[in-house]
Amino acid sequence: MNSSFINTEFLIDTFFVALSGVPIALLVTAVALAIALPIGFFLALSRINEIPVLNGFTKVYVSFVRGTPLIIQIFVLYSILPLILAGIFERYEIDFPIYEVNPLWYAFVIFSFNTAAILVEVFRSALKTVNAGQLEAAYSVGLTTSQAYRRIIIPQMLVSTMPNLCTATINLIKATSLGYAISLQEITLKAKVAANVGYNYLEAYIDIFIVYLILCITVEYLFKVFEKRLSRYKAVATA
Amino acid sequence: MEKYFDINYLWTALPQLLPFLWITLFVAALAVIFGSLLGLILAVFKLSKNKFLRFLANSYITVMRCTPSIVLLFLVYYGIPAFADHFLGIYLQDVHTGVFVVITFSLQFAAMMAEVIRSAYLAVDKGQYEAAVSVGLTPFQAYRRIIFPQAIVFALPNFGNGLIAVLQEGALAYTIGFIDIVGKANLIIANNYNTHALEIYIALAVFYWVFSIAIAKFFGKLEKVFSKGQSSLKTS
Repeated sequence: MNSSFINTEFLIDTFFVALSGVPIALLVTAVALAIALPIGFFLALSRINEIPVLNGFTKVYVSFVRGTPLIIQIFVLYSILPLILAGIFERYEIDFPIYEVNPLWYAFVIFSFNTAAILVEVFRSALKTVNAGQLEAAYSVGLTTSQAYRRIIIPQMLVSTMPNLCTATINLIKATSLGYAISLQEITLKAKVAANVGYNYLEAYIDIFIVYLILCITVEYLFKVFEKRLSRYKAVATA
Repeated sequence: MEKYFDINYLWTALPQLLPFLWITLFVAALAVIFGSLLGLILAVFKLSKNKFLRFLANSYITVMRCTPSIVLLFLVYYGIPAFADHFLGIYLQDVHTGVFVVITFSLQFAAMMAEVIRSAYLAVDKGQYEAAVSVGLTPFQAYRRIIFPQAIVFALPNFGNGLIAVLQEGALAYTIGFIDIVGKANLIIANNYNTHALEIYIALAVFYWVFSIAIAKFFGKLEKVFSKGQSSLKTS
């Protein structure tokens, strides 16, 4: 068919096309994390303290998210959300073009929904590593619950959270590659569209592959640096 | 006017969908078998004293960890035939897409398993091997009879998680035109002019959910069975 194995010119051009999708991928990752972190933390607390309704709900929610493929979650949410919203808007007679919403908003909702459940488990296992006596000690010196958590529990918890949080972040960045299903203009879709013209799919996917590799190795490195700083605090605290 | 959401529709769609469940499970099973074998080799590399082999295994695992499944899937799907065609002169365009699906998820599962096998091996006390050799077992016998049965207990929970992961990642196989349960679901939806998509997707979610819970429960039980033997060994 073609004389050379790889179209180098296309490979280099498309690399920058793929790179131009990085801001969207990182934006979705950052927003999803920002929404999922507090939700995940409070649901983890409700699991640990066995708060009646919330505990059961969280159990089912986490089990569903961990038990089903992300792409299926995207399919379900992407078809159910417009239906629900359309129903609400119709009821209150709000004129809103529900089918012209930027897919970015759906991406925020879907990836937050997914990540929050993952983080529940991350925080739950991290909270368990903190000795129960720590909370009692904090109470006994007169701290309120929120003070005890903010000053005593959370700082200790953070150290053991970091590796799992890093994995969750990496998985989230990788997961944004599924944004194609809701036509989100991120790394994968952008490069794929560029490849559609001349059927240079192999080159496009090599570019996408390299971009994710750079992205993930960078994030992993940043987490490692941050973890080192945190554990230094831990060493000071225990000394 | 037709209802948007009609759960009764599932009774007509499920009989079409169910036969393809086996394809999904079959592909996952093949990926687990080949992936475990490759993972074992990688674990041996990672544990070896040779710096180059360790570097090779570590880079492979890092690359796999950083690559989204869908990207790996397409790289394999487009890359292997192009490579074979250009460098080896072998024509692979007619190979069944299922083969590429199995290759992709074996590669991915191997990276997961390498870590699982390595940590399970390291969890077994070194003295066990020395003790086995000192009573006259050959190294191979020591591994087979002493190290392996103990390591398997440590590996079981992570192996179960890996199994669930590979089953779920397999849901992406439809993107290269493989007709498993997700592929068939999308075909049914397309045949119905995109109506009743939600019902079908919910059915898919339930399938995966049930299987994930079943696998988790099964490995939980299995772990109990295996670790029972271990605790009795300790007390005796």
